[in-house]
This record gives sequence, C-alpha cells and structure tokens, in this order.
Amino acid sequence: MSIVTVQLGQCGNQIGFEVFDALLRDSQSSHGLCCKRENEAYQASCKERFFSEEENGVPIARAVLVDMEPKVINQTLSKAAQSGRWKYGQHACFCQKQGSGNNWAYGYSVHGPRHEESIMNLIRKEVEKCDSFSGFFIIMSMAGGTGSGIGAFVTQNLQDQYSNSLKMNQIIWPYGTGEVIVQNYNSILTLSHLYRSSDALLVHENDAVHKICAKLMNIKQISFSDINQVLAHQLGSVFQPTYSAESSFHYRRNPLGDLMEHLVPHPEFKMLSVRNVPHMSENSLAYSTFTWAGLLKHLRQMLISNAKMEEGIDWHVRPPSSGLPSLGKKSLNKDLHFNTSIANLVILRGKDVQSADVEGFKDPALYTSWLEPVNAFNVWKTQRAFSKYEKSAVLVSNSQFLVKPLDMIVGKAWNMFASKAYIHQYTKFGIEEEDFLDSFTSLEQVVASYCNL
Amino acid sequence: MRGRRVGAAGARAIAGVSRSLPSDHSPRSSGRAKFDRPDDSAPWQLLLPRALPIPAGKRLASIALGKAALPALCFARANPRAALPAAGSVGWLLRAEDLCPRQMLPDPSGPLGDEMTVWGQCDALASLGPPAPHMETEGPVDVRHVQWLMGKLRFRWRQLVSSQQEQCALLSKIHLYTHGCHSDQSLGHLSVTEAEMLRDPEGGQQLLRTLEQENRRLEAVLAWRRTELVFWQWMDTVLGTCAPEAPAAASQPTFLPWVPECGDGELELVVRELQTLEEELREAAERRRVAWEAKARGCGRGPEWSATRRASQETVEKELGALQRRWEQDSGPAQAHGPHRLVRREDGAAGDRDLRAAELIRTLRSQEACLEAMLRQLQGQCRQELARVAGALPGLIWIPPPGR
Repeated sequence: MSIVTVQLGQCGNQIGFEVFDALLRDSQSSHGLCCKRENEAYQASCKERFFSEEENGVPIARAVLVDMEPKVINQTLSKAAQSGRWKYGQHACFCQKQGSGNNWAYGYSVHGPRHEESIMNLIRKEVEKCDSFSGFFIIMSMAGGTGSGIGAFVTQNLQDQYSNSLKMNQIIWPYGTGEVIVQNYNSILTLSHLYRSSDALLVHENDAVHKICAKLMNIKQISFSDINQVLAHQLGSVFQPTYSAESSFHYRRNPLGDLMEHLVPHPEFKMLSVRNVPHMSENSLAYSTFTWAGLLKHLRQMLISNAKMEEGIDWHVRPPSSGLPSLGKKSLNKDLHFNTSIANLVILRGKDVQSADVEGFKDPALYTSWLEPVNAFNVWKTQRAFSKYEKSAVLVSNSQFLVKPLDMIVGKAWNMFASKAYIHQYTKFGIEEEDFLDSFTSLEQVVASYCNL
Repeated sequence: MRGRRVGAAGARAIAGVSRSLPSDHSPRSSGRAKFDRPDDSAPWQLLLPRALPIPAGKRLASIALGKAALPALCFARANPRAALPAAGSVGWLLRAEDLCPRQMLPDPSGPLGDEMTVWGQCDALASLGPPAPHMETEGPVDVRHVQWLMGKLRFRWRQLVSSQQEQCALLSKIHLYTHGCHSDQSLGHLSVTEAEMLRDPEGGQQLLRTLEQENRRLEAVLAWRRTELVFWQWMDTVLGTCAPEAPAAASQPTFLPWVPECGDGELELVVRELQTLEEELREAAERRRVAWEAKARGCGRGPEWSATRRASQETVEKELGALQRRWEQDSGPAQAHGPHRLVRREDGAAGDRDLRAAELIRTLRSQEACLEAMLRQLQGQCRQELARVAGALPGLIWIPPPGR
C-alpha cells in the first residue's frame, strides 16, 4: 500500500529529498546479500510504496512539496532530476514568493487557509494516483515558521478530509541553542495541535543527529545535508520492506499501519523516537564486522539509558530488579535515568537475521506495568541487508525518551509566556493567549502521562 | 442369510445412501459377489459393513449438518455499500441472478466482491440487547490498557476501510477494462469471477468439477432424505430375521473378499455396539440436561433476575415494534432478495428485478443513522451513569477527555 509524503518548508523538503534518494538507492543496490528474486521483490515493494511509474520507467516520488519560498523547492526538484534515477512529479509542488518570517501564527492562520484549496488539491491528486492508499507521511520542522504553522494546519485538514487514513508526522526537534527566539512558542503550538490531529509523531532531535555526525561519522564540517542523510538512513531502515508476520515469503503490505498499531494506539502516548545501530562512515564500514548479539546489546542499553547513539552509553543504568513490587517501580524512576517503555518495535535487517536473539527486549522490567511484553514488544526480521550494512538494527520506541526535552521546551516557553514576550506577533494573526494556555495544558498532560509510566 | 425383498422404494433409498457416501467408497457390482442367496440381499451386503461400524446416527447427522450449512454458505454476509463508489454520473445496478455459483462452495475466503446477496431490512439491524447483568472481573484493570486496546481496534477498523477502498478501486478497474467483453450486451463488462476464470481457465475447470461433484452429492442426499424411512423399516426387518439365524450363517460360504471383517456374530457385535452407543448418548444428554438445569436454577429467581428478564423483554418488544414500523414505512418498492451482481451502466437503464445502487445506499444510510442514534443514546446513558457514580463519591472531580 502506498504512502504519500508531504514535504513542508525548507526542512521538510530537504529531508524529503534525502529520504527518497536513500530509499531508492538502497532498493537498487546489489549489496543486498540475497538472491535476485528476493531483490526484485524488495525493489518492487519499495517502489509501490513510495514511487509511481512513468512511461519511460523513471520512478516518480509520491510526494507533495510545499513551501512559501521558491528557492528550496527548486533546489530539491533539480537535485532529484539530476540524479537520473528518480524525480518528483512535474506538478507536485506548491510555492509562493514570500516567506513567513518564522511566524507560526502567520503560517497557521494566514498561509494555511489562503492556500488550503491548492494544497489539498495537490494532495488529493497524489492520493488518487495510488491503487491502494495507506496514509500520509508529513515531514516538517517543529520550530520554524512555514513548516510548523502550515504543517499544523495541513495535518488538521488531512484529519478532516481523510479521517480513515493514517497520518505520521516526522518532526525535527530544534537545537537546544537554536537561533529562532520564538522557537519554543512555535514548538509547543505545533506539538499540541499535532497531538490532536496526527496519529504518530516521529521525532528526530537535531542535537542528537548532530552528535552522530560528529562522533560516529567523523564529519568535520557538518552541513544540513549530512544531518539529513543520517536522518534519511534511519527512516529508510524503518520503512524499507520487511516480511509480514504471517509468512516470510511476502513483504508486508502496510508497514505504516502495522507500526502504528503496535506502537501508538493509546491517544495520550504518540511520541516515537528512532535509534539505530550501527552507524558509521563508509570508510570505517569496510573494516568492521558485527554480531547480532553485540548490536542488540548496545541497542537495548541505548533504550534503557536513553542514549542517542552507540557511543558514550551509560552502562550503569539497569532496569529495576524484578523482586520489587510493581508499586516500587514509580519511586525508582523518579530520577528518570531509567527509560521506561510503553512499546517497542525492533527491525532487523541482514545476514543470519533469524539467529538474532531479542529476548533481552522482552524483559517485563523494561515496560510499564499495564502492558505485557508480549503485547508491547514486536520484532520484524528481514534477510535483505540495508544500505551496505551487513547487519543493521533499528528501534522505534514509544518511551520516556522525549520527556526531558519536552519538559524543557514547555518550561522555557512558559517562562517567556509569563512575561508576555513576543505574544503580540501571534495575537496579531489570531492566535490568542487562550490558545497558548490550551497548548500548555495539553503538553503538561502529555508530560505527566509519560512520567507516570 | 435371508433377507426380505427390498422393493423399489428400498432400492432407491439404498442407492441414495451409497451415492451420498464419500467418493473413495467403491461400490462393487453385485455381479462380482458370490452369493447363494437371493439377489435382493446383495445391496444390503454392500452397505452394511460400511455403514454400520460407523454408528449410523453419526453419518446421518453429518449429512444433516451439511444440509443445514448450505443456507449459511449461500447467504454469505455481504456488504453492498462498501463495493459501491460515491454517487457519480455512472449508474450502478445490482442485477438479480438465478445462481450464485461461488457461494455454493464452502469458500473460506468469503464473497469475491461484485457478487453479493441482498437481504431484507432485518439483516442490517444490529440487535443490541441490554448489557450483561454481571461483569467478570479478574482483579483491577488499568484503564490505560483498555484505552490501548480501543486504539488498536480503531486502527484495525481504519485499515479495514482502506482495504475496502482498495478493493473498490480494483473492482472499478476490472469493470472498466473489460467493457465490451461480455457476450451479454445488457451486462457489458465482466465480473471479477468471470475475469478470473478467463485469466485462469484451469482453475475454472477445477471449480466446475468440484461444483458438479457437490451437486451430485447433494442430489443424493436429497434422494436419501426422501426414502430414508423406507430404508430403516426394511433394515429393521432384516435385522429381525437375521439375528436368530446367526449360527446357521457359519455354514454358509464366506463373504466377499473385500468384506473380511464380517464373520459370525459380527452382526451381534455391531448391534450391541449400537445399543451401547445409544446408552452412552442418552447418559451424556441426561448429564448435560442436569448440569444445565442446575446452572439455570443457580441463576436465581430473585427480583434481580426477573427485573433483568423484564428489561430484556421490553427491549425486544421495542425493537420488534421499531422493525415492524420500519417495514410498513418502507414497504413501497419491493426489494428483491437473493444473489445479485454489480453492473456498471452508462445509461442507467434497469430491468425489473434490478436494484439501483443509489437506492440501496440511501436505505443503508438511513439504517446507519438509526444505529448511530442508538449508539449516541447508549453513550448518553453511559455518561449519565458515570456522572452518577462520580457524583456519589465526594471529592472526586470528573475531567472528560479532550474531544476533537
């Protein structure tokens, strides 16, 4: 079943390009470590999901590009066309001549309604091209102006018009020391709106990805392109084809639906993060070998200790011992060093994947008391290797990973709000103090729910 | 062994039984049998070792079950609304069919898509009874777990809707692409089954063969049902004359080589087995009945029980009344029942027995509105109950979840 991607703003469009590029490059690679027939099935499945075919055989990304400035969209379109391997649809983009000055309210209340019809028309055309449509993948930043404001508006519209389709928002969490002074306002407004209209919020933190580039990939001058490529690699390892649970001869038809059903059925717990191992530069890759046991051990400890990457993991963090009564768990987690999970999905790709032992993830101590590991944990195993990594594992987790960052952003935004700083920029375009208060309330509720696991 | 003359009716009955037995059963021609008794006992010889060692009651019961299952197979649950697109310029019809071949088979995958059975109104109305008088609790349940499960259900529902939309799109394509291929001009295009048969003729042949086999067995069962009584009466007489002559049978030449297990006293054994089985069944039935009565008695005759019963009766009467009223209201155009086939027509012309999709959609929508009203009413009742419970506890603040 096909997924339609909506790329919003500078951030969304640049990341979107890297994602499609990574997906197609991997599907066409010959390093899959599997037979030709398997490779063809993998390719076909990936294509059906993310691309449509044109007469001359060049795959066209199932995407709609939206931005208020033409520059980034033009760059994105030409980069794709230049690759020669795929491209965007000719009429799949919508852009204007003016920006929105990082003003969330302007994006949400002015740009959104003004261009609603055109944008929704583009999306509808893309959806109609799909023989079978599974849902939307919306890529946007949380703290910018265009991406975040319009993104919130568009997601709400999708909720109204396509209430039965799935919606996953890929959100970029801004740098802690970001340059946009109102980024915390934008963030809380975006998050609270998306929490109501989206099904799942897949979060990537700029800080974390930046560290991966610096420490693991050894990149000296980190550009946005490097960051986006790391991101695309993580998303690719989640969304490339995986075997279905029932039969290991067919790739699953609806990974988005299966993922959501496993991880985010509860309306209060929608925040997902991604961790993947291994991650290194191509040069180092040639000299490294991995074992499933080693990879999974690292991944598990990353989950427990809330590490963002496989370097610098705190190995002292342990799950609470099972001898204690379940009520005791709450007091132990007060320091929040131990990351309690609601649900986890581990996706393994590569050689000897059937021998990988994931028992460590089925420990009840890792999970909250009201969900058994048999329901909370799922693993998808696929023989076909991903993107030159002989073995790779990715973890999509609904856990307390994002509680601290969220709490920090809400705190900072509240401090600014208490002194009414910059509020007039928002009230000027219809976002009242009431709306801010609503946002604070709902996000406090989210933080509280996650803390009480 | 001397048996009575079978007679024509008995012969028909016996033939019916033999045809209804599984096909790996090989009825031998009586010419090959070695008898020195009158021919009329030959068919009995054929059947007895096969039929009786398996308790006769069981085999006939399975035939009866097969017959009872037929209506269930034919009237497979259909969802016409899902197969039809939103109102557009193209006319959709449901063409009545005399035979719905696919649905005659025990097909576990369900109806294919553009063949469906139209029911009367009663099918679509869900009967929601009053909630169970008591709940089983296995300890405190975390409400978050319940919310989790509800969420999973919602996702499954949405995926179901997506799948149905996909199915509709594909159906539409098949109808569009095969336009002009059908020999019947009034239909114009192929149905999914027909397209599938063209694509895979071998599969179609196989289907046909299976159908014919089923038909033969069903006809045999019907024939058997008609003559069953005669057969058993005749069997009684045979058993009656057979038993006292058992010792004399020993001096007779042996039976057919393919009936090795039949010897002296075998018949006695079989009869005794039948009797023991009957005893066992009777005992088992008795035990069940006693257990059920004890359970029913245990439900109590107290005021709670009669109150629940009264509530149930009232609900049933109310629903019956609503049903009847609706019947009278919509008794206008008589809706055809039975198997129908989805046809796409540009001109919108319809025959007598054809249903317009638009009308069907209208009816279903009104039924949906009815059910939604019922749902809202029940939700209101739940909310009132919750408010009452919350109000009874001092200091409890009720915060409803944020609505969309």
